Amino acid sequence: MTTTTAARQPHLTFGGILRSEWIKLRSLRSTLWCYLIFVVLTVGFAALVAVALPTDGSTGGRGPVDASAGVEPTWLGVATVGVAFGQLVIAVLGALVITGEYGTGMIRSTFAAVPKRLPAIAAKALAFGVVTIIVSTVALVASAMISAAILTGRGLTLDQGDPSFWWGIAGAIGYLALIGILSLAIGAILRVSSGSIATVVGIVFIAPIVLSLVGALTRATWAFNVAAFLPSNAGGQMYAYEPVASSEGGVLTLDATQGLLVVLAWVVVSGIAALVLVKRRDT
Amino acid sequence: MIEAFGLTKRYGDKTAVDDVSFTVKPGMVTGFLGPNGAGKSTTMRLIVGLDHPSAGKVTVGGKRYEDLKAPLREVGVLLDAKAVHTGRTAENHLLALAATHGIPKKRVAEVIALTGLESVARRRVGGFSLGMGQRLGIAAALLGDPATLILDEPVNGLDPEGVIWVRTLSQALAKEGRTVFLSSHLMSEMALTAEHIIVLGRGRVIADAPVGDIVARAAGGAVNVRTPDGSKLTTAMTKEGATVTPSHNGLLVVTGLAAPRIGELAARDGVVLHELSTDAGTLEEAYLALTADEVEYHAGGLQ
Repeated sequence: MTTTTAARQPHLTFGGILRSEWIKLRSLRSTLWCYLIFVVLTVGFAALVAVALPTDGSTGGRGPVDASAGVEPTWLGVATVGVAFGQLVIAVLGALVITGEYGTGMIRSTFAAVPKRLPAIAAKALAFGVVTIIVSTVALVASAMISAAILTGRGLTLDQGDPSFWWGIAGAIGYLALIGILSLAIGAILRVSSGSIATVVGIVFIAPIVLSLVGALTRATWAFNVAAFLPSNAGGQMYAYEPVASSEGGVLTLDATQGLLVVLAWVVVSGIAALVLVKRRDT
Repeated sequence: MIEAFGLTKRYGDKTAVDDVSFTVKPGMVTGFLGPNGAGKSTTMRLIVGLDHPSAGKVTVGGKRYEDLKAPLREVGVLLDAKAVHTGRTAENHLLALAATHGIPKKRVAEVIALTGLESVARRRVGGFSLGMGQRLGIAAALLGDPATLILDEPVNGLDPEGVIWVRTLSQALAKEGRTVFLSSHLMSEMALTAEHIIVLGRGRVIADAPVGDIVARAAGGAVNVRTPDGSKLTTAMTKEGATVTPSHNGLLVVTGLAAPRIGELAARDGVVLHELSTDAGTLEEAYLALTADEVEYHAGGLQ
């Protein structure tokens, strides 16, 4: 052959696959758009609620965040209010990262280059997870600073070094990365963009609403208890202010660590299913 | 070197590739010929591990594709022009593939130049014509400077200039000692490009021979004989195992007996010959004869 003289021949390495996935991620417009929309939603909602929030406690918790609950918990609620919407954007992007490859046929090029397949999927999840953590950190720290500035301007005195607040912010960042990877795993299982996005939105957004409606209408505690283990509700505990585990009146409340473990369980179970299917299926 | 041993692929109750064994040797262009739906693409997907065989196995350089340390350097594959994300530029597509193996950026620029994609390299692939997509697929296949090239319908969508380019490139790569395996349903192109041909029909190998032999086998059996004494010669030839089909104007079409032997028989029996000629035939005819029974969907006339 012509170029077999090089001392170190190029070959397949995990570092190389990871670099490849990073190139793929940053070279698509959908990535840029999704992250941009995510940051705007997260920071925008935080700013909006910080401005509109009643701070005298007079509305008694009717607003999205009840200021009467305390200053730092209020601040955390305001800073993370956009996560509920932002997570959908991250979830959509997570699904697209893999379904976009199946939809276009790119996956065949990917698996021809990485025939063992699983390193490619792992690298994809890792690259996407790391970038999501970085972007989420930017978005949430910005949300925290902007909402702090607005709330301070409105006469509240915040302890900006409150560790419980920053644990909540860290929890939100971790939750966003995990929901993105859960969505990527669902995308790898279903392979089609529309079905994957619908499934993720169903699990993250619609199921909690349906279950809480069922619970509210029938007073069935099981509905609340099932809902507590959905990724969005369990994840919500990761960015709640000092959540305490309890089972008052038969209704379960998770603390932050339990919430993290529940979300991790979703990611691990769907991740294993995705890896097994990716390995076994024809492409 | 590609070696298939009893390779079989079933999808549900349909057998796409049925107990196929063959060897594709280095140093020459091997054509993979067959009608659409014969199983060519499936076989190629099996070679590079995108589909898992139901039975049998296939190796490249003695190893399963999955076990190769540097797949892109061992095997370059063009499966179809659509194995590319439409939202990414051609250059980024190649850079991403190159990164997996640590192939330098310089090589990406080289294959872009080699395939004539410089002017569109920074455009998104979604807007590419079929021909440009095909060139990008070939660029990707050449990225790792591989010892084996597998190209599925490489001239599909290319203009005449592109067709000649693929032909010249394939032959040049083969001459460097590489294994070049390309599929087509067009026998005319194969006749010009390939040295050796494997013909697939309904998932089975129906011929595996040098191009010349395939032409000779199907057409070379037919000898045209014209004689005023047809019955006497027919008896003599039939006795030697030939099949004689009388045609118009006293022409006999003989298969299963070579022209020299027919001449000898005529001389022995004192039969006058007005014509004795071997039908040279073309690969086209050979191919049609070979695959006549194997085409799944004939273009049946309106009844």
